[in-house]
Amino acid sequence: MNKNTINVFLVVTIISLVCEKVGKIQLGKVALFPMLFAVIIGMILTPDLLGKKIKKLRDIIGEKEMKIASDMVMLILLMLGIKLGTFVGPNLDKIIQAGPAFLAQEFGHVLAPLVAVPLALKLGLTREAIGAGSSISREASLGVIGEKYGISSLEGSGVLGVYLAGTIVGTIYFGVLGSLAIYTGIHPLALGMACGVGSGSMMTAAASSLAEVVGPQYADQVFAYASTSNMLSGLTGVNILVFISLPFTEWYYKKLSPKFLKKEVKQHA
Amino acid sequence: MRSLDIKKYVLYFILMSMTGIIVLAGQAIGLQKQFIGAIPGMFLIIILALGCFAVKEAFPKFPLPAYALSTIVGMIVSIPALSISKFFAPQIGTVEFMPLCTPLLAFAGISVGDKIEQLKAMSWKIVIIALVVFTTIFFACALIAQGVLRLQGAI
Repeated sequence: MNKNTINVFLVVTIISLVCEKVGKIQLGKVALFPMLFAVIIGMILTPDLLGKKIKKLRDIIGEKEMKIASDMVMLILLMLGIKLGTFVGPNLDKIIQAGPAFLAQEFGHVLAPLVAVPLALKLGLTREAIGAGSSISREASLGVIGEKYGISSLEGSGVLGVYLAGTIVGTIYFGVLGSLAIYTGIHPLALGMACGVGSGSMMTAAASSLAEVVGPQYADQVFAYASTSNMLSGLTGVNILVFISLPFTEWYYKKLSPKFLKKEVKQHA
Repeated sequence: MRSLDIKKYVLYFILMSMTGIIVLAGQAIGLQKQFIGAIPGMFLIIILALGCFAVKEAFPKFPLPAYALSTIVGMIVSIPALSISKFFAPQIGTVEFMPLCTPLLAFAGISVGDKIEQLKAMSWKIVIIALVVFTTIFFACALIAQGVLRLQGAI
């Protein structure tokens, strides 16, 4: 056990216990949970933010500590997976009954390019739109896009950008989405499935916020549905991207981009 | 099949146990739930999690990531029809879910610290696109799920 490990554990212990002590904060209809403060405080303490201003802080949380932290994420995700699985077991019959819904909702992923590609073009991006708009851009998508176009290509920066944005603000955003979505009137169980679309931390944030607002009646089932759909996304995600989303995004981009480019020319003329 | 690196597993066990202590302290402070009584449950979680890690290390070509494997293991030990669930499920049930996420996300926050500059270089546009992608996929999946669950008469 070296000094760096002790540093990062001390900091995480303090963050966790302070956040737990503060507890849930209700801002109007948005509920913020200890885990969301924890991710924000963790980010703020790093060399790119507060560490830039305070030299001392860089000695406590530096490059090595960030590396250890990312290894710890992997280990704790395994612990979390075990705990999440225990929500699935008792609900297994309900999940099998809902099987068709689980499979069908995976096709929701295909709708992202429909909205994201025109927006990206409108904002002035070019082929980055293909990488950024074709999927939710987690690790599997990075792999697929990286393999097809090269990660340093325009498509590659698109997917990498959304990946990074998701890593940094995704947890917080999904946490808020999970507690707000219930006001749309969509059924808690359908929302539970939707909570599983992103990474493990996104799912955790979304499902726990949702479980809290729907109350104990649905809470366990929300976790069960979210983690099952997260598991399925991991299995089907790559295939949907390779065979459906990505070819569609390519085609759609080719259809749309001339219109946006023409507009640009007109504006300049 | 690769041989096990015992030293590494001992280290991982210690690191996960330290995390476990943070989690149990967190649930005692935040939710007024038991600390001592949840120790066996936490121990089982750690052992099962390490087991999943070991299986993935031994069979690197296994198609599922270790995290997905751990969800499946957690599911299996909690299926009421299997007698092992009488041993595992009540113990693991003493460990609360939310306090387990708090240190996880604290570590996650620290680990992404060095990517903020990279993101700034890509500008705010990509963040907006990311949020639009997330929102679209979330609600598209929820609406499809809602439709199919309705058709099935499940809700």
